[in-house]
Amino acid sequence: MRIFENLPHIDFMKYKTLALSISWALILACFFVAQPWKGSAGRVKLGMQFTGGIDMQVRFRGDMPQDKVRAALVRGGFADAAVVAYESKAGLKDYSIKVKARPGQDEKDSTAQINHIREILRGLDVNAGDPKPDLNTETIGVIADQWIKSNPLGAQGDDTAIRAAYDPWLSKISAARERFAPMTSFDQLPTDLPKVLGDQIKNTYRLGNLSFVKNESFSPSISGEWTRKTLTAVAWALGAILVYIMIRFTASFAIGGIVALIHDILLALGIFAVFGFEFSVPVVASFLILLGYSMSDTIVVFDRIRENSHKPEYRRATITQLVNDSINQTLSRTILTSASVLFVALCLFFWGGPALRDLSFPLVIGVITGTYSSIYIASPVVVYLEKWFPRHDSLKQKHS
Amino acid sequence: MSKRTIWRLVSTLLICGVCAYFFLPLSKIRLGLDLKGGVHFELEVQTHEALEADIKDTSDRLQDRLKEKGLPAVVSHDQTSVKVEGFTPDQKPAVEKVLNTFGNYDVAYDATSAKLTQKAAYQQFVKEDASKRALTIIENRVNQFGVAEPEITQSGRDGNRVVVELPGVSEAERERIKGLLSTPGRLEQRLKAKGDPTSYRGFPTREAALAYFNGTLPPGTELLPEPESDRDLRRAGQVPTHDPKHKGEEKIKSWHLVETKVYVDGGDINDAHRAVNPTTDAHEINFTLNRKGSDDFATLTGIASDEGRLISVVLDKKIVSNLSTKEKISGGSVRVSGSFTKEDADDFALKLKSGAMRASMKFLEEKSMGPSLGADSIRSGVLASLLGFGTIIVFMLFYYRWSGLNAIVALTVNLIVMLGLMGSFNAVITLPGIAGFALTLGMAVDANILIFERIREELKAGKSVAGAIQAGFDRVFWTIVDSHVTQLFAAMLLFIFGTGPVKGFAVTLTVGVVASLFTSIYISRFIYDWILERHPGTKTLSV
Repeated sequence: MRIFENLPHIDFMKYKTLALSISWALILACFFVAQPWKGSAGRVKLGMQFTGGIDMQVRFRGDMPQDKVRAALVRGGFADAAVVAYESKAGLKDYSIKVKARPGQDEKDSTAQINHIREILRGLDVNAGDPKPDLNTETIGVIADQWIKSNPLGAQGDDTAIRAAYDPWLSKISAARERFAPMTSFDQLPTDLPKVLGDQIKNTYRLGNLSFVKNESFSPSISGEWTRKTLTAVAWALGAILVYIMIRFTASFAIGGIVALIHDILLALGIFAVFGFEFSVPVVASFLILLGYSMSDTIVVFDRIRENSHKPEYRRATITQLVNDSINQTLSRTILTSASVLFVALCLFFWGGPALRDLSFPLVIGVITGTYSSIYIASPVVVYLEKWFPRHDSLKQKHS
Repeated sequence: MSKRTIWRLVSTLLICGVCAYFFLPLSKIRLGLDLKGGVHFELEVQTHEALEADIKDTSDRLQDRLKEKGLPAVVSHDQTSVKVEGFTPDQKPAVEKVLNTFGNYDVAYDATSAKLTQKAAYQQFVKEDASKRALTIIENRVNQFGVAEPEITQSGRDGNRVVVELPGVSEAERERIKGLLSTPGRLEQRLKAKGDPTSYRGFPTREAALAYFNGTLPPGTELLPEPESDRDLRRAGQVPTHDPKHKGEEKIKSWHLVETKVYVDGGDINDAHRAVNPTTDAHEINFTLNRKGSDDFATLTGIASDEGRLISVVLDKKIVSNLSTKEKISGGSVRVSGSFTKEDADDFALKLKSGAMRASMKFLEEKSMGPSLGADSIRSGVLASLLGFGTIIVFMLFYYRWSGLNAIVALTVNLIVMLGLMGSFNAVITLPGIAGFALTLGMAVDANILIFERIREELKAGKSVAGAIQAGFDRVFWTIVDSHVTQLFAAMLLFIFGTGPVKGFAVTLTVGVVASLFTSIYISRFIYDWILERHPGTKTLSV
């Protein structure tokens, strides 16, 4: 089976100016839509490893599968929450729930976020339908307000004095909750708790099957330093590629290859940001895979150009014809290779689940642009450079 | 079979066997935090230690500065303040001038004394700096220990907690890593105090030492313990045991009075590594000092040889050894021998290399953690990768017929080599890693496509089967080399300059490129040659 029964003769270089300008216009457009200079206020989304966030720990009594917790959080609007199970005593399930800090988030927003998540988690309790609130997860402040309002102990004085009368009992209840997390019986309440208070609690509250162990904020695990070092590493890599192609081919090929590479990365970055995907460490890795793919795709075309330039029938041919023929000769291979990688990337994108969607997207875009750029960015640059600085023979001195 | 074929078959099988050794049984493969979970450590930086260390530094520097100016003041310090005493009222302006250079301190004056305390903003800065340093050093140590794909975050209200999550760590490694993370690793070289007459022996107990000095130590000195070393045990006719249970309960051999002034500290170490002493078979640590360190070391050895005093090598407030020197030593290359096991010496060297923390770490908690990805995410991720890879295989068979089978054998060997190389690097496999495998194999197929397309072209041009295969591989050889070598360059530079996850990724990329290069030019060629050998003069090739 073959894609082309006969060698195709498509005049690719005819549209080179058009292709070059459309490409770079598209990159500029993406840049203006994504507005990376605005940071997180623009469309560039950063993952938890870059932004930090809140880490909440919750403990369930009885069985509570991880997937159920995750599903509830996703329904509640926390699709990016990371749920991790910790080792726990028999009959208990400990989970750490990490959510990303929203851009420009302050203390108040965090509290609102925490309360929202708590509400979602309370909803997971088997007895969530019970109209009575749950003592194990009730905010201490709410209990305090109730006591101060009804004042069952009959404390005298102004608000502060009344509050002071209840404070020791509140901290005792809080300590009991921490100790038994979660409490299973009202007998676990402090033994010296005045009967009126104990009765009031027993009447208003039920005991749920979960407990909030702690919540604290965490800083980004990926620092600005990491980003800087990674960019430096990429710059060095590009430099090495430039030098290698210069040695094996000529300077115009080296420039053409690098321009195509930068084009692919910028375009993939731009489209990635415009579509609102989130940058994470695996995504950065997939951009680096893309770098390798795009380069090797370009090299194959370049190699054919170099090989053809040695052939007698191209001795008098123009650089345009040489490049055009070389592209046509490698076209079926280019299509096959791109199709196979594109297919894998599409599989990962559509069926790979949420964990792989973000990281396969740059590859879906990158394989398409990488293939296109070998033909329409790298080669035209070579054609232009060879036309402006004609050193046609220098290529032939390079041995293949 | 010709000799050449046998030789190629044997070498291929050998390579596959060696690779299989590194990843079979499959339980040898370390799975990442996302697939399998790992261990979760939470540590707290003891920031108050950093404040105390800063007070002590300041006190030492202040004493030196006052001495330079010829002022007779005595500097002492406690945990929160530095005290300057013993100057006359008319020397006060001169003392004030010196104290004013310590801008991070608030100074309260009396007629003949002054008290310096850290400014609140400066305290904040020192604490934050200590936490940040601890974080960097922990990252360094974890990375150098060779645990791949760790997750290290700073947390807590004051940012003084460090959470370290490590995948696939064994029980024994866990203990070692705990020790590695929590000790500051501060190496100091000091002088044994003039007032201590005990030389190498030291005082038997702390009480005996205190009694000798009538309860008050001379200013600028402190008592430090020296633990019993292997050498001492051997000398006493005992076999040194290193029961991990008794680790940390080492016996204190003696106490020494040493100066608080630190001449050379770990910060001036360029490089450190473990070595074995050829005569005693003991493990030692060799390290080289930077310029400042070697100057300081020369000063230290100068004083020690002139005054006939001992140099105490102190690690984390314990004396590792006492040394004497006959002459001033310059050059900055130092060897420390003491009671080290191989692991101890390795960890010690690693600590010296990664730098010293300003404060020690307290272990808050340690627990195992489950995978961060849900079972369904893992399942769909793995299935999608298999689907992608499977489809390529079917497509190759469909498009290139029997030659497609050749490509599949090559891809299988490719996968074995990749897994083997990853295993030999102790790499950790994550879900993105599995996806990366599928993608790399998708790209590796490119080399086979190039070759097959070229063979088709040559056949079309009228070459014989053998000629077409020969020409196909020859022509494509440099294309494949060029495209792989550029990628290899990129991967290696990412490895050299990248940090953390990028390094791990660079390893995967390198492994993929090397495996693909090997299988496309060696394995595929070998299969064709073998078939041609068995069917010489064949007229058709299924490609």
